Amino acid sequence: MLTRRSLLKKSAVSGVTILAFETCLASPTIPPAPEDLGHHFEFLSLQDRGILSKLIPVILADSLPSSLDEAELSIKEIIIGWDIAVLGLPILTQTELKRLFEVMKSNFILSMTPRLITGVPSAWEDPSEIENFLNKWRKSEPDNFITGNELRVGYMGLVEITVACWYGNPRSWEFCGYYGPINLNSLIP
Amino acid sequence: MVKSKKKFIDYVSKGFEKGWKHIDASLVTSDETLEADVVIVGSGAGGGNTAEILAQVGLYVIIVEEGPLKTSNDFRMKEDEAYSMLYQESASRQTRDRGIKIFQGRMVGGGTGVNWTTSFRTPETTLNFWVDQMGVKGFSESEMSPWFEWVEKRYKIQSWSLPSNANNSVLETGCTRLGIGWGKIKRNVVGCQNLGYCGTGCPTNAKQSTLITTIPGALKEGAMLISKARAENFEIKNGRIISLKCLSMTKRGNAPSKKFFKIRAKHYVLAAGGIGSPAVLLRSKNKIFNPYGIVGKRTFLHPVNLSGAIMPFEVFGEYGAPQTSFSDHYIDTRLDLNKSGFKLECPPLQPMLVATNLEGHGKFHSEIMRKRPFLQVLIALQRDGFHPESIGGSVFLKKDGSPGLDYTVSSYVWDGIRDAFHVMADIQFAAGAKSVSPVHRDAAIYKSPKKAKEAISSLPMEILKARLFSAHVMGGCPMGEDPEKSVVNSEGTHHEVENLSVFDGSVFPTSIGANPMESIFAISAKFSQELAKKIG
Ligand SMILES: Cc1cc2nc3c(=O)[nH]c(=O)nc-3n(C[C@H](O)[C@H](O)[C@H](O)COP(=O)(O)OP(=O)(O)OC[C@H]3O[C@@H](n4cnc5c(N)ncnc54)[C@H](O)[C@@H]3O)c2cc1C
Ligand code: SF4
Repeated sequence: MLTRRSLLKKSAVSGVTILAFETCLASPTIPPAPEDLGHHFEFLSLQDRGILSKLIPVILADSLPSSLDEAELSIKEIIIGWDIAVLGLPILTQTELKRLFEVMKSNFILSMTPRLITGVPSAWEDPSEIENFLNKWRKSEPDNFITGNELRVGYMGLVEITVACWYGNPRSWEFCGYYGPINLNSLIP
Repeated sequence: MVKSKKKFIDYVSKGFEKGWKHIDASLVTSDETLEADVVIVGSGAGGGNTAEILAQVGLYVIIVEEGPLKTSNDFRMKEDEAYSMLYQESASRQTRDRGIKIFQGRMVGGGTGVNWTTSFRTPETTLNFWVDQMGVKGFSESEMSPWFEWVEKRYKIQSWSLPSNANNSVLETGCTRLGIGWGKIKRNVVGCQNLGYCGTGCPTNAKQSTLITTIPGALKEGAMLISKARAENFEIKNGRIISLKCLSMTKRGNAPSKKFFKIRAKHYVLAAGGIGSPAVLLRSKNKIFNPYGIVGKRTFLHPVNLSGAIMPFEVFGEYGAPQTSFSDHYIDTRLDLNKSGFKLECPPLQPMLVATNLEGHGKFHSEIMRKRPFLQVLIALQRDGFHPESIGGSVFLKKDGSPGLDYTVSSYVWDGIRDAFHVMADIQFAAGAKSVSPVHRDAAIYKSPKKAKEAISSLPMEILKARLFSAHVMGGCPMGEDPEKSVVNSEGTHHEVENLSVFDGSVFPTSIGANPMESIFAISAKFSQELAKKIG
């Protein structure tokens, strides 16, 4: 996961010069969070949920249901799953994930990482822009001299938690041809 | 004749109803100091096994376990529940550079509660290496074989007679067609329903984990189990441990609370597993535990890489006993250590486990998930720790005192990983695969053996590119006779601190070169019997 200290260290020099650029650019638009379906969110902020609502369809592509209503409901459930999953992780890992969201919100003060380096979309509306961002992180070299392994690791974390929340959810099982757990009663003669 | 209805009875929870002693530390508010003859930290293969042996000679044993007490009724074959409930760090533990995922159990039963029941004796070549090269005494094949026999009886380890599921059959067919030797795996099960959900906790109590065997055995003798309590550090006076400080976990179980209690005992046994046992010693922050800086060093992982194949027939690798066949061809032919040897096996293929171990996202990922019923996966476990270059990892403490692991994959082992990608693709194609994809950042899906071969030859063998995992953490408190090179002696007793022993997988001086559970059972049985004679 992204660690604040190492990104700070690595982007300190380039960060200062790029800060000038960055402030000239429009600040990013964070999409609104979808409904919470009655879940009380403890980890994800409204903005985190807004970003996830745009990331999830790109990460999961056509594995989401084709009906728009069902896809939307699934995305809401995946976001709730995210919140629950993260709360079960060690506190240090939770801190790293918080920081990952700061980077994605392009919050320069908190993340110290200019968008020009991270490639985070300026607006989260265009799926192809999100796809480019994910691919940049996916393909980023683990020994990149500015970001180190941070982008690659951040990518792996984002994708892993998202697919875990989806394929742990029975709504995905038809797509991946899974009949679910075995009914134990059927085994009793 | 009327057949009586058999049910899958949760007799472990019934035992607690009848009065076995158990404290869930997350629910307790008092901080009284407890007393015991022996306190055992960890309830996995080493801890559970030790508890029964010591309790049976009349010692009052307390078992301290960080994870929760869950029993067969709680094991509902649901991945979304199981990984966060039963695995260390919700199955998200990783090496410091995030290059290797580490699976460990964190529950009453430890790794034996979630493991895949594969049972191998310690290979004779490994035992010989320890005796000849690592200064270990009393571990020749003839000295160990009575212990293996004992373990095989106690944990009902036996040949598996049902046919393999299709996932394992591919390994068998592919190897047969290529003239590579393979064999059938023995399993520690009784009345196994061939479900395939060993990794989420056995719902039928077929799997002979310590949760249903030796921990109940100890509790019947009056032992006490404390769950959701993390052993923090030892307090020492005049060269002897005087107490163990434990922190209660929060109700959620992912972090220690501020509540603590102490346990005083005559003898202390660490069985918190690889990473876990060294961490307690490192947290104890006294030179006497670690005079030569060896604690946590030589931690081995059997680093695993994966190869996926789409077969022309349905595989449904989530169902059926998960691991039933193996090949040791690339261990047996590489014992000269010129090249890194590896064992070939198969993993279970429930959807969440598959999805989280694939590379990529979007269409690439979803296409494989769509074809998941046809997906076959092979894994290769590198035999680390034998070659001088393969020195293993090193346990360190994070700023909150929790343990982490540095592990650099040596170029020697990377070469073995590349060879394994080649071999696995060959086996899958030989068994009829339509396409093969090595699980690697830069790999595509290859439709012919030639394409796969070319690609694998040029894939960069680098961390965070080849996806690696480990379910076998070993070493970190190596045993041996030389106190400058080992943490405990050949009886598992600490070289400097007389009333401290380590009885788990962390005492291995190298990796095992086979799945480690039976080795841990055998070694901890031998150690415990010796200890019982001394203090019983
Ligand atoms: C998914 C999976 C599949 C596997 N499959 C197989 C297989 O098929 N065959 C095989 O041979 N091996 C298998 N293994 C490995 C095997 O289960 C382990 O090697 C073995 O259980 C290790 O035994 P141990 O006693 O060293 O530690 P563990 O069994 O890991 O037990 C250590 C226990 O100590 C607890 N603990 C840690 N720190 C503390 C602390 N500070 N205070 C209190 N408690 C603590 C942990 O929660 C854990 O329960 C598998 C492992 C996993 C995770
Ligand atoms: S395969 Fe057998 S041992 Fe494994 S979970 Fe199913 S019944 Fe239990």
